[in-house]
Amino acid sequence: MIKNYFKTAWRNIWKNKVFSAINIFGLAVGMAACIVITLFVYYEKSFDNLHTKNIYRLNEVQKFEGMGASQKVALSMFPMGPTLKTDFPEIKNFTRVRWQQKFPLNNGLKRVYMPQVFFVDSVFLKMFDFKLLRGDRATALLKPRSVLLTEDAAKRMFGNDDPIGKTVTNYGQDTITYSVTGILANVPKNSQLQFDCLFSFSSIYKKWMFTNWGGNWLNTYLELAPGTNIAALEKKFPAYLQKYKGKDGPKNYELFLLSLKDVHANSADIGLDYINYQKFDKHITNLFTVIGIIVLVIACINFINLSTARSSERAKEVGVRKSIGAGRFQLAMQFLGETVLLSLIALAFACIFVSLAIPFINSLSQRDISLPLHDNNMLIGVVLISTVLVGIISGIYPALFLSSFQPIKVLKGALATAGGNKVPLRNILVVGQFTSAVILMIATVLVIRQLKFMQKKDPGFNRDQIVNVPLGLIPQNKYDLFKQELLSNSIIQGVTASQDILGSHLDQTGISFKLGDSPLRQLTSTLLVVDNNYLDLYKIKLLMGKNFSTDTSAVWKQYIINEALAKELLKDHKGKNMESLLGQRFGFDSLGVITGIAKDFNFNSLHYKIETLFLVNGKGFNQMSVKINGGRAKDAVAFIQSTWQKEFPGIPFEYQFLDDHFKEVYSVDNQVSTVVSILAGLIIIISCLGLFGLASYSAEKRIKEIGVRKVLGASVQNIVMLLSGHFVKLVLIANVIAWPIAFYAMSKWLQDFAYRIDISWWVFGIAGFTSLVIAFATVSFQAIKAAVANPVKSLRSE
Amino acid sequence: MLSLQHISKYFQVGGNKNIILNDLSLDIDEGEFISIMGPSGSGKSTLLNIIGMLDEPSDGYHYFEGHAVHQLKEKQRSALYKQYIGFVFQAYHLIDELTVYENIETPLIYQDFKSAERKAMVADMLDRFNIVGKKDLFPAQLSGGQQQLVGIARALIAKPKLLLADEPTGNLNSKQGEEIMELFRKLNKEDGVTIIQVTHSEKNAEYGSRIIDLLDGKIDSSRKL
Repeated sequence: MIKNYFKTAWRNIWKNKVFSAINIFGLAVGMAACIVITLFVYYEKSFDNLHTKNIYRLNEVQKFEGMGASQKVALSMFPMGPTLKTDFPEIKNFTRVRWQQKFPLNNGLKRVYMPQVFFVDSVFLKMFDFKLLRGDRATALLKPRSVLLTEDAAKRMFGNDDPIGKTVTNYGQDTITYSVTGILANVPKNSQLQFDCLFSFSSIYKKWMFTNWGGNWLNTYLELAPGTNIAALEKKFPAYLQKYKGKDGPKNYELFLLSLKDVHANSADIGLDYINYQKFDKHITNLFTVIGIIVLVIACINFINLSTARSSERAKEVGVRKSIGAGRFQLAMQFLGETVLLSLIALAFACIFVSLAIPFINSLSQRDISLPLHDNNMLIGVVLISTVLVGIISGIYPALFLSSFQPIKVLKGALATAGGNKVPLRNILVVGQFTSAVILMIATVLVIRQLKFMQKKDPGFNRDQIVNVPLGLIPQNKYDLFKQELLSNSIIQGVTASQDILGSHLDQTGISFKLGDSPLRQLTSTLLVVDNNYLDLYKIKLLMGKNFSTDTSAVWKQYIINEALAKELLKDHKGKNMESLLGQRFGFDSLGVITGIAKDFNFNSLHYKIETLFLVNGKGFNQMSVKINGGRAKDAVAFIQSTWQKEFPGIPFEYQFLDDHFKEVYSVDNQVSTVVSILAGLIIIISCLGLFGLASYSAEKRIKEIGVRKVLGASVQNIVMLLSGHFVKLVLIANVIAWPIAFYAMSKWLQDFAYRIDISWWVFGIAGFTSLVIAFATVSFQAIKAAVANPVKSLRSE
Repeated sequence: MLSLQHISKYFQVGGNKNIILNDLSLDIDEGEFISIMGPSGSGKSTLLNIIGMLDEPSDGYHYFEGHAVHQLKEKQRSALYKQYIGFVFQAYHLIDELTVYENIETPLIYQDFKSAERKAMVADMLDRFNIVGKKDLFPAQLSGGQQQLVGIARALIAKPKLLLADEPTGNLNSKQGEEIMELFRKLNKEDGVTIIQVTHSEKNAEYGSRIIDLLDGKIDSSRKL
């Protein structure tokens, strides 16, 4: 019987090619979107599922005097791990992780820069289940000066030689030689922790670290006893902080725990989160999921609409089958068989679409998503079952509707319920489709406008034609030389340096301030250590006071603060103006003074408000900024590179245009906008396909009416309006529903940006107009075809 | 075989009752070949549909093979119908997507016959109606007479005791019509199938054993031939 169902189903699909093509294509696109999103979500969920222990990351909430708002950070302090373990029995193990990037290692004369290395405590491999290929998990990190290399790192370091027992040397502040105690499998890409080498932390212990209850320069991971009550444990932390840091401890800090599995997707609000590879907010993942499902639902709606619209064609068959003994259940099964077959065919096409889309998705998301054909039976099962479900869900209404026909009525051709535009459900569904389409259209326009706005908005500094060169471990005196060398060429317009790049999260630090005779005030502010010409090169406006002096004796003594900090400093001194701050004591020690006040600029991404910031003319820079002649950018970069290689042979040269860095800063925003616009496009296409199908059936059904009207003198225009008017009305209703929803949703989304566009009404107008034009164009194609047809033909055929 | 007692059928149209069958009583014995005649609108088809359980009367009692049809539930009625009744239509009403073979086979599928049984029964029927060579053709590829032949074959495949035919020759030319009537007579005489047909043609009506004339929803006359 099943075979028979599929046979009739197949013939029906084949007989109505246009109808089937619309359905299959629409469904395939919807499914493809859903599958791609499923693969993405699946990949996201797979992050860190390698590990089996009950591991939590320790995080801090910092709330220092002078900070605008408290800040969640991923960092913690060196002594926290061991003291937590001794104070709380439920904490079974801890490991601290300190990271270094571009870490130079020598094997004899051969030097390799490791992209990222970790210094970890000896139980790191007991807590984390990273695969160890050679060596002993328990002891490999026990001794100081031990190192574990990943397979790739070992290969780069030693080629095909056996690395075990060999040594590698780091020539840094101290020269340390490490012996290789094991080989790790390469770290999978879906791990938040990415490293090439693991060093035993004890190799770099310094005495000061053990009492350093203030420096947050590492991450701490805790293994908890199974079943530990996290909330109860967190409640004990304030007392713990008080014990070790005094009463300022709980005032300035809060500690909280985040399950390792939550770190990847659930830490969007946590800053200074440096070793959380491809951190991705789960809300965005959820958003993608929701829109993906909407795409699929809209494709299913097409199916329901087209099936019921052409029910009059199937009515006779229903009547005949019933009159020769078919039960309602059997008929419903037959129609469901058709939809299931249709969705299975659509699945085949969807798989093709997905495999075509995956390279694009991977380059967009920077992930290794693949279409699992053999290695993931569960996912295949889920997709197959969902496909059958999609078939059943979209077929159930048409099946029940069609199988309910009374045989004698349909056989006599009296099928009042099956035709025309009276059926309200179909109208509701079309309105639903276009409502989603319009909402997404508005969302797309606003998202893109917001991104444009962020790129165009004057951040208060000039970032044109600036090349950023990471200095890494280049010492200060070499930097000065290098700077002079570069400036000797006219292609270079300026060189300055800082400890960090604008647009990245800058570090915060404690600082003291004293106005006249008033008491010393301790506060926390963001800092930027800069070369003395930093403000000039970046064209940052100085509101009052003087710029940094070029005198080397002024280093670490001159501070320039931003307006936000100036306001913060004046908080307790009502009546004083900003000028009064100039020359006042400020800084790390008693020698520093405020020399100038700079106009506020957006040193962070535009997601954030401008916070308090001071710049200090110091030393020890990580990032060099080179302003180049824009017309000869290529030559300039080549010149910087050749100079670098002359000055620092063997150290790899890297550079990035500051504009590109800012693109990276907004990369998640860009990803979201790309995905949303693609999905919006798909929804519009699928909705129009459905409308096209409905219009063609409605034109077909009314062909006699059109003939009569034409004979009576109706113009083509009259006929087109007659046929299109109804659909246009539906799209208008959809707009009315969509606007307030879009307005609400987009205002919520924009809340995430400290600097945001206004939601202008013309965006809604444009979305409405566009949807009408698209819908009208789709429908009128059919309408015009029907209207220009020779009426004699249609009337004779009856 | 079946008995209709005080059957009425009416529709409410606005404030008016539109009466189609008016307190009609009729008994039919097994083995009869009845022709129902009457002018348009006299209720012929409605009567046939009620006998065939495709329609329900508004009032009255309907007995079929000892079952009180008016008391049966939809499911039981459908089971009764499947077992005893075959239907032939004026417009043939074959399923366009199915071949001749499949059209004839379909009722068996709905009655849960096994595949092997179905094959044998359909082959038998094709043989008997001399349409073996056409079994893989689709309805659109057949002439009207051939289509009606397939329609009758389909109606008979499940060996019904009662064959209902609503103007079976209405769309056929006179030669084809005669052939179908001859077939009906043969079925009635040789196989003992009870036949009730609606017809406009006196000539076709005379193939039967009794002619019932309807007028305004009532039996005007009943003549045995």
